Amino acid sequence: MTYLLYPPLILPCPCGWRNHILAPPSSTATTMNPVQRRGLSGSVQPGQDFVGRSRSRSVRCMANPRRVKMVAKQIQRELSDMLLTDKVLQFAVLPEASLGADRYLSSLTTISDVEVSSDLQVVKVYVSVFGDERGKEVAMAGLKSKAKYVRSVLGRRMKLRLTPEIRFIEDESFERGSRVIAILDKIKNEKSLENQNGELSDSSAHDDDNWDDVDPDEGIIYVD
Amino acid sequence: MAKPIPKIGSRKNGRIGSRKHARKIPKGVIHVQASFNNTIVTVTDVRGRVISWSSAGTCGFKGTRRGTPFAAQTAAGNVIRTVANQGMQRAEVMIKGPGLGRDAVLRAIRRSGILLNFIRDVTPMPHNGCRSPKKRRV
Repeated sequence: MTYLLYPPLILPCPCGWRNHILAPPSSTATTMNPVQRRGLSGSVQPGQDFVGRSRSRSVRCMANPRRVKMVAKQIQRELSDMLLTDKVLQFAVLPEASLGADRYLSSLTTISDVEVSSDLQVVKVYVSVFGDERGKEVAMAGLKSKAKYVRSVLGRRMKLRLTPEIRFIEDESFERGSRVIAILDKIKNEKSLENQNGELSDSSAHDDDNWDDVDPDEGIIYVD
Repeated sequence: MAKPIPKIGSRKNGRIGSRKHARKIPKGVIHVQASFNNTIVTVTDVRGRVISWSSAGTCGFKGTRRGTPFAAQTAAGNVIRTVANQGMQRAEVMIKGPGLGRDAVLRAIRRSGILLNFIRDVTPMPHNGCRSPKKRRV
């Protein structure tokens, strides 16, 4: 009950609430460590000993989920914009961009998704690269090596109290989806061809035999 | 914008109404404008005259779903089906803008069997011209 004697504190909170006034622990949104009150408020009564309660000095705030979504969207916009305009990042992703070549690209990098942790400290950026294997490796390696630079530029562009740590992760869902759709299309084409042939020659029993021949791994259509 | 192209006249016959261009073009250019909320895919010939176009909105998606990569993929599929009938085999792709449509359209084109010659990024970049809109506060 001792904390009720202290006046309410105003502590900076990294999730962007400018003046977060500490209410008594009945507020549901925050988990505050009671040790924080010791430093800023009035005198410590001589009989009390706070050492046993000092566990961690970190303040953790869980931001509003709507705000988390908004921050994620904004980060996605900023990062995509940076990929388009920032010379350093483009050179890291595509080393031949520095030669000019009138923007004839060998691979294309897109930011497909951004996930932000609920305390806005860690950002996972899912990147999808279109191109061959080597282009993918080069792009991912380049991005990962520029993570600190990206973090500093993002901090300059966006007004966040604490700029989050950025992690780049390769996103394979586009490719998988594309492969699945290619296989489905191929099956559909073969089926429609079979139907046409079946109608012409008036024998529909052949349809079932050819299903075994369709090998899922052969469905990948490479066009060059 | 409009290049003066001499029309080989079908007008003289007195026909009213536009005649469908039955030109067979083996090579074309696919322009993709991928913004955050929508994707527009336009197919033109090499000189820039539009053959056909489609967008995520015209494919029946509304609202926030237009910005998704699946919508971009369907739009690309629509256009390619129209154009493959005219016998286009090779294409060059010009991509404009950020957005998820960039990747999805490229993959859709590659899946469809049209040869990709080049991929170019033609996002308009000012040499420090007009003042950009104010920063969004979040």
